[in-house]
Amino acid sequence: MGAREVIVEDVHKRYGRVEALRGTSLTVGRGEIFGLLGPNGAGKTTLMRSLVGVSRPDAGTLTVLGLDPYRQARALRPQIGYMPQAPALYEELSARDNLLFFGRAHDAQGLGERVERALEFIGLSARSRDPIYGFSGGMKQRVSLACALLHEPRVLLLDEPTAGVDPKLREVFWQHFRALAAAGVTILVSTHQMDEALLCDRLAILRAGRVLVCETPKELFARGRSHVRIWRNGTAIDRTLDDSAVRLPGLLQEFGLDPKIDRIEIEQDSLERIVLALIGADAPNAHQKDTARELQA
Amino acid sequence: MSSRLRRLGAVARRVLQQLSRDSRFLILSVAAPLAVIYLLKVFLDTMAVPFIDSTTLAIPIGAFIVHFVTYVLCAIVLVRERTAQTLQRMFVSGYRRPEIIGGYVLAYSVIATVQSSLVLVELRALFGLAYPTETLLSIYAVIWLLAVISIAFGICVSNFARTEGQVFPLIPLVILPSVFLSGIIIDVDRLPVWAQWLSHVIPLYYANLGLQALMIPGARLLDSWQSLLSLAAYGVGVLAAGTLTLRERD
Repeated sequence: MGAREVIVEDVHKRYGRVEALRGTSLTVGRGEIFGLLGPNGAGKTTLMRSLVGVSRPDAGTLTVLGLDPYRQARALRPQIGYMPQAPALYEELSARDNLLFFGRAHDAQGLGERVERALEFIGLSARSRDPIYGFSGGMKQRVSLACALLHEPRVLLLDEPTAGVDPKLREVFWQHFRALAAAGVTILVSTHQMDEALLCDRLAILRAGRVLVCETPKELFARGRSHVRIWRNGTAIDRTLDDSAVRLPGLLQEFGLDPKIDRIEIEQDSLERIVLALIGADAPNAHQKDTARELQA
Repeated sequence: MSSRLRRLGAVARRVLQQLSRDSRFLILSVAAPLAVIYLLKVFLDTMAVPFIDSTTLAIPIGAFIVHFVTYVLCAIVLVRERTAQTLQRMFVSGYRRPEIIGGYVLAYSVIATVQSSLVLVELRALFGLAYPTETLLSIYAVIWLLAVISIAFGICVSNFARTEGQVFPLIPLVILPSVFLSGIIIDVDRLPVWAQWLSHVIPLYYANLGLQALMIPGARLLDSWQSLLSLAAYGVGVLAAGTLTLRERD
């Protein structure tokens, strides 16, 4: 991990009776793509809003690029790009006019050229003069992302950036995020999509305002189990192994070189199953089924 | 040009772009006061109170109509921005509170200018206002200033609503006391003392004072300078209140 550019320490935030963040802590290094994964209401958006200084935490400390997002918002904001969950665009205006408007806030040099490049990147050059209200949800997301990238920020905070975006364009977006990260841009991204979560350098699993684990996707996978099914004489024998790399040879030894074995099937736990198990372990009686449904959705 | 002014101009430009693409809104916001003033003419002609010059009622009521329409149009703008999350995005992008409020007031002032001009032209045509050009221009200045203050007032009020639905109860709360306490229907001096004090927080009170002074034969703009100054100070106060109460964070 490079220099720590986003630091969250024991942050609490309450909205009335709801405790959105309960002692959340994490750090994100320079040039890192850091994923926030969790069900609805886990606190992902509240954390993002706190990091851009539009939500004031009740307790704890937040630092982005060495600055307090709440007290030093004016110094920080030109250096961050934020894409909220809702498109947050002016529906009557065109994509170009929206980009120009948000770009003018930053006094960015060569704004016209930047806007053209951004429109090309999101694949909307041909429809750049059409009003936003005629756009699909995915197209609005693309314009919203372009607004966040326009001024070339050092830290990007993306709240579900690819919701409603088709798989091909999603791949283009992630290639771009990778290129930005390689150039030193720090990216904090919240997502529901498990395949996207795997593209992050590190992941924090959030539930009810707490970070349950904060690991690389590889480390998370290591928490999973292998489900081995051995077919012998047409009968299935099932075994579950905690660490297949270590335990599989032992299992195979148990059966020896039995000529009656027809087939061996090995299935690794998916990230989704691992995450659900983590969330379930944290709150075995608390709406686990709902959480599973949300994540599967 | 400083970056603050540039950003204020960017907000005004964006608001005007939005308004220009909503022709129904534009037509209604200009046509509605004109239609109501025509109905006022019908009403005053029918009432025909002896010894009362209908123009002395028509001009202040015309000013009230401009105040009412402009206030209502602006009372919802920031709530819409808040619910669409564009207000949050403006702040995160680097726009600041005075730039947002100033940009809105500047953009809506264009509508207010057109509205005030057409209202005065209609009042003159319907009620045959026989004032010298200088007096007419002075009356215009008062109505225009009231319209601009109404914009700031509407924006300020919209800061206190979280949803569009919450704006509606705030509309009569501001408008109806204007009718009763500003002096356009009955003399403020005849009100109880506490109500007289209350009338001093109503912008229409100052506009009405200025208009009454100007309607005296031979009056000049300078004759209503106290009211104009009060109105201008009121505008600055409302703008400051609107800026300070605009929530940037929760």
